[in-house]
Amino acid sequence: MNRGRVLLGAAAMMAANWAGAQTVGPALPSMAKVAAVISRCVSCHGDKTPSGGLRLTGRAAALKGGVSGAAFVAGMPDQSLLIRRVTAGQMPPGGPLKSSEIETLRQWIASGAEWSASFAPKPNRAGLDWWSLQKPVRVPPPKPKHGLLVRNPIDAFVLAELEQHHLSLSPPADRATLLRRVSYDLTGMPPTPNELDVFLRDKSPSAYEKTVDRLLASPRYGEHWGRHWLDVVRFAESEGFERDSIRDHAWRYRDYVICSLNADKPYAQFVREQIAGDAFVPASQDGIAATGFLVAGPWDQVGNLVASGSILRKQVREEELEEMTGTVGQTFLGMTVNCARCHDHKFDPIPQRDYYRLKAALEGVKAGDRPLLNATDNLAHEKLISQLRSDINGREVEIEKIQQTGAERAGAEPQSGAPSTVPLPIAKWTFETDANDSIGGLHGKLFGAATIAHGRLQLDGRGAYLQTDPLPRALHEKTLEAWVCLPDRAQRGGAVISIETPQGAMFDAIVFGERETGKWIAGSEFFHRSRDLEEPVEKSPPQSLVHIAAVYARDNTIRFYRNGVPYGKAYLPTGDTPELATFPAGGAHLLFGLRHTGSGNGLLTGEIEEARLYDRALGAEEVSASYRAGFSHISPEKLLAALTAEERGRLEMLRKERDALHDRLAHEEPAPLSYAVNSFQPGPSFLLVRGDVQQQGETVTAGGLTCIRSEPSDFALPANAPEAQRRLRLADWIASPENPLTARVMVNRIWHYHFGRGLVATPNDFGFNGERPTHPALLDWLATEFQRQSGRWKPLHRLILLSNTYCQSSRFDAQAAAIDADDRLLWRFAPRRLEAEAVRDAMLSVSGQLNPLMGGPSFRPFTVVHNNSFFYTPTDSPDPEFNRRTVYRINVNSAKSPLLEALDCPDPSTRTPRRTVTTTPLQALELMNSSFVLRQARCFAERVRAEAGASPAAQCVRAYRLAFGRLPTAAETERASAFVRQSGLPDLCWALLNSSEFLYVR
Amino acid sequence: MNDELTRRHFLRQTGSGLGAVALAWLLNEESAAGTPPVAGRPVPSEYAPKPPHFAPKVKRVIQIFCMGGVSHLDTFDYKPELIRGDGKELAGKGNIETFFGQPGRLMKSPFAFKQRGKSGLWVSDLLPHLAEQADEMTFLYGMTSKSSNHTPAAFFMNTGFTQNGYPCLGSWLSYGLGTENQDLPAFVVLPDPRGVPAGGAINWQSGFLPASHQGTAFRPSGDPIPDLFPPQEVQSAKRQAGMKFLDRSNRDFMNANPGDSALAARIRAYELAARMQSSIPSVVDFSKESEATRHLYGMDNPETAGFGKNCLLARRLVERGVRFVQLYHGGAFGAPRINWDAHEDIVENHTHQAASMDQPVAGLLRDLKQRGLLDDTLLLWTTEFGRTPMTQGLGAKGRDHHPHAFTCWMAGAGLKPGFGHGSSDEVGYYATEGRSEVFDLHATVLHLLGLDHKRLTFYHNGIQRRLTDVHGEVIQPILA
Repeated sequence: MNRGRVLLGAAAMMAANWAGAQTVGPALPSMAKVAAVISRCVSCHGDKTPSGGLRLTGRAAALKGGVSGAAFVAGMPDQSLLIRRVTAGQMPPGGPLKSSEIETLRQWIASGAEWSASFAPKPNRAGLDWWSLQKPVRVPPPKPKHGLLVRNPIDAFVLAELEQHHLSLSPPADRATLLRRVSYDLTGMPPTPNELDVFLRDKSPSAYEKTVDRLLASPRYGEHWGRHWLDVVRFAESEGFERDSIRDHAWRYRDYVICSLNADKPYAQFVREQIAGDAFVPASQDGIAATGFLVAGPWDQVGNLVASGSILRKQVREEELEEMTGTVGQTFLGMTVNCARCHDHKFDPIPQRDYYRLKAALEGVKAGDRPLLNATDNLAHEKLISQLRSDINGREVEIEKIQQTGAERAGAEPQSGAPSTVPLPIAKWTFETDANDSIGGLHGKLFGAATIAHGRLQLDGRGAYLQTDPLPRALHEKTLEAWVCLPDRAQRGGAVISIETPQGAMFDAIVFGERETGKWIAGSEFFHRSRDLEEPVEKSPPQSLVHIAAVYARDNTIRFYRNGVPYGKAYLPTGDTPELATFPAGGAHLLFGLRHTGSGNGLLTGEIEEARLYDRALGAEEVSASYRAGFSHISPEKLLAALTAEERGRLEMLRKERDALHDRLAHEEPAPLSYAVNSFQPGPSFLLVRGDVQQQGETVTAGGLTCIRSEPSDFALPANAPEAQRRLRLADWIASPENPLTARVMVNRIWHYHFGRGLVATPNDFGFNGERPTHPALLDWLATEFQRQSGRWKPLHRLILLSNTYCQSSRFDAQAAAIDADDRLLWRFAPRRLEAEAVRDAMLSVSGQLNPLMGGPSFRPFTVVHNNSFFYTPTDSPDPEFNRRTVYRINVNSAKSPLLEALDCPDPSTRTPRRTVTTTPLQALELMNSSFVLRQARCFAERVRAEAGASPAAQCVRAYRLAFGRLPTAAETERASAFVRQSGLPDLCWALLNSSEFLYVR
Repeated sequence: MNDELTRRHFLRQTGSGLGAVALAWLLNEESAAGTPPVAGRPVPSEYAPKPPHFAPKVKRVIQIFCMGGVSHLDTFDYKPELIRGDGKELAGKGNIETFFGQPGRLMKSPFAFKQRGKSGLWVSDLLPHLAEQADEMTFLYGMTSKSSNHTPAAFFMNTGFTQNGYPCLGSWLSYGLGTENQDLPAFVVLPDPRGVPAGGAINWQSGFLPASHQGTAFRPSGDPIPDLFPPQEVQSAKRQAGMKFLDRSNRDFMNANPGDSALAARIRAYELAARMQSSIPSVVDFSKESEATRHLYGMDNPETAGFGKNCLLARRLVERGVRFVQLYHGGAFGAPRINWDAHEDIVENHTHQAASMDQPVAGLLRDLKQRGLLDDTLLLWTTEFGRTPMTQGLGAKGRDHHPHAFTCWMAGAGLKPGFGHGSSDEVGYYATEGRSEVFDLHATVLHLLGLDHKRLTFYHNGIQRRLTDVHGEVIQPILA
């Protein structure tokens, strides 16, 4: 900024000297003013397409002129074509010049029309020679005049720049202030009074250094700096969009980040794991969890339900990939590659093709929960689970046999069909006394006004339904069966039985009257596996029971039965996902009386006498036998009474064994899951003309950015390259020491968080639209130093924190501010407000309520209502679980905390390389009145009373030290003590937690 | 809002309670010290009014957002050809792709259409109250959307993007224009009293704009915003003393740290917060509204009372200078339906939805007009997309999502009243003449507010972002 002005000034002075050598001359206009006008002309009369043949690229070219002759005659404005044209308003085409501008031109020509480099038009885009695309060059630190102020090379670079502007560093900050600053900076937490004492007492020269090392070794470091990283990578634990479902296992990525930073993992490894950790051989748990990075962004769950061949579905996928590609480009490279999806980048040398090369590397990435185990471990685990399930199944079959025997003896006269042909279900709901499954463990829960009465499940069609526990094992082929009474035959769309995955994303159901009144249909999501069946409308007497069964065979055939005989023709579905649906273990359940969760008209009015589920496709005879055998109508007590003592004992033992096996399964089954990359092998990638999924262009193979020339950007992979290879190559290309951007971008982020502003103030954009570095040589020096330290963060933190630049005071200097109002040159340490998380954590810390438990599932401070979408209402609880650090609060898009939000906590779905800091009345209201703050104030007071005793003066001293990391002045103690005597200690604590000094770091 | 409850609460807070106390403290402090200047720089305020780019026609906006997709064919876009084609196959529209992928036959509107007022604009009998106001309204019959999926389409209408994480119109206005009344939020959202829309607060987020520009959702009962007041057990006298102590500490800290304007802004923020403690209860206090006004908004009818209250509240908010008030009509997509998503039965659904929307919105429009507010307020009525001319499924009675043509309308200064612009084809499938994208709608709204949509920008990750992305033309033909 200032340098530009200096240059112009110098040019003007030189021109003035030259003008002074003339005998008489009119006053020379400011060259900046001339440049402002001429540079406009140059935009058309430039080198490439000179309008009218006139090139205003230099004095000689201007004098040579175009088709109309020379542009001007030096010293003679009135004879000059230029003046004539602008005076007549013929030029410039955008509108006439102001008379003052014309006068400037006249004076300039009159004074000799000296040329200046500043006339060249400002470049409007970056080329291949753009600064950030060149490899960092390590130059030796400069030697500033005040060498005594230099503690390490950082100071040399900073001070040299300050001295250029007649500025210097501020004196060192006082020790208490420095301790508070560095504690918050590294750990996001205030120093404890004990830490303060130790530090102030330690007069050794290494006292500060020791403190820095202590803080860097603290696990709190990873929590605080991990949160910074989570901002950059738009870490969300819910899908966003319409449903905003929670990602239960996304926290593993958060833990991965925290642990990686605490372990000071080399940056190259950190990068490689996040892009391709699941593709390493063998893959580690860390590597798999790390890929949560790629899929942390928002995901359109509903858009992913529509027909897979449709344009809409393709668009949805393309948006996902843009979001992911853009995040990779911005996070690691500081390049907004996503701007080149529809056309070549407007400002940076990124051709559209390069965007698609990066995208091709990520094309096989899908989001989802996956086992955190590698393939071998996973196989062993699955084997164990399947053995347990088969053991359970054996017990259940035997249990059912005994029960059937009992039922027959208890007077259920065997119907005409021989009982031996009656098939055995895996679950049966008789609704005699409750909603339990009398065979397996698929017990039901009633919702709405659903009741069990008269041996039936009663459904009112206005919100009543039953939902079972999750399926204990996956279901492929299956039969759904029920006896149902439907008094209202005009009702539309209700289901008797449905089996669905969560939120009804996939379902198979026995549905009544949905597409045609009075008719049965095998319902499914988007009718993917449904077909209208040619049968008359249901005409049985309204109070009678109808037996209905839907059979889903392994060969994909669907057969429907009514009262034991086929209903419509068997068919092979032809919809969008016609294949046999697999309902996963733990990820599906049954519904009675509701078509699928969230359906608008899926509620059934009627009574269900009995329902059964089979894990195989029943044959026509079996269905018929089941119909003829009828439903159970024996109470459990009667049934037991009909058994022999031996049978009863056996039954009891079998049940015990089954339950024990279930417990074991429940313990073993949940293989640790992580929300991460689930890859698939994609087809070839294409450039999309204007980014339009309907306009496929040339084939594109995975590759890096061609504007980076220090390493090959072509991955030499064929179009059908294995998915893993693509990402591994991309990861290596980014993490390579030859990549000029990777290290620069990362050291700049670290600088940004230490000083509140990066050397490049736009940390995600090192391109033309971003800010230029304030200290380019320092940035390069740090980048090479970072690489020299194997890309470890902690040595870099140390270097920065031990510099005098960092340790200087934050005192304001009006004179320095007049030169550099924004402190870009670092003449002081810029004070700053704590981030939202640090405010909350600091309150918990000061009040003594902080629960230091690290890692694991996030805490969820809200209540949830599910009505097709999820709706979250924030709650506040004193439970220790909720007193964990804020980084462990679940990041749900639509469940923001009013307090954190008011303190500028960013939207989880937005890539946030730097946070905004705002001060609003809503923020004040939150700090004043939120129950959390008020409770922390009370706990803070209790703590102070316990630690300082009853004397108000001692209480004030303690409270100030806890909250501000310093002793109060005598005047403050006096005022605060008076206040405590008047209003009580909790009110003082409330005021301290609300005060600017608490919220600001100096 | 529960009138009784709010009023009682308000009295508690103002009579002997905290509102009065906070205010008393504030007035004392202000007269004694005033808002301190800092190192010659003005105290920054997040919402200070900012000048527009050119003379505006309107100063503030009320938007009614009908969620779920209102059928243009059954409300405002009269299609005689659909009556003739009823039950026939749709032809000549190229490759048909509907959201649920089961296009049925053409279905005429079950509602009768009539020409209304002097303008002769068509409005169906579904909306008798709005029909009476047709001469005040400016219709856009050729609206299109980029998505047939609810939430992306709703994002598109709100933000100009179909993705999660972009700032909505209200946030852009808060950022671009600030607000006229510092005692109230710049951007207020009034969710449907039956429930918030799917995605909740995602719909009124500020995306990459500072969080201070996101919508403040007023709750339908209790205090309109969370933490407006401390819990009841906090004694007002003590709170007053606490505020004084805090103010003194903050001033000391500010004086010891000159040059940091944020410290002055914090002091100012507490003053404004204290003002909000009286201005927010007072804006939701309807006790001075006449019976006639309540009737106008349908507040005396259980069916319209809930949304009617929100409409009246919207008027009271803009009256006090709030920049942007967004009302949602329609909530989640669960069962039973509480929005316009008429997949199953257009008559059943739209009749039910219209019953709670029609009179309140018509009442709002009439009230804005009679109070002169329409002279500098824009009323904007939108939905995320229309509905198919065909049924969803054969022999069915509902319509599927339809992004290729739908209708929105506006009313207010700077517009031609009783005017329709653009059209859809003979059956309402494609927008034909005067096709307007959401970008154009946004460009026009900004234009009416005195903002050039190309100049209202915010740098974010490499791009000078705009509400209209790289698109948008002001819809000149509708401007007066």
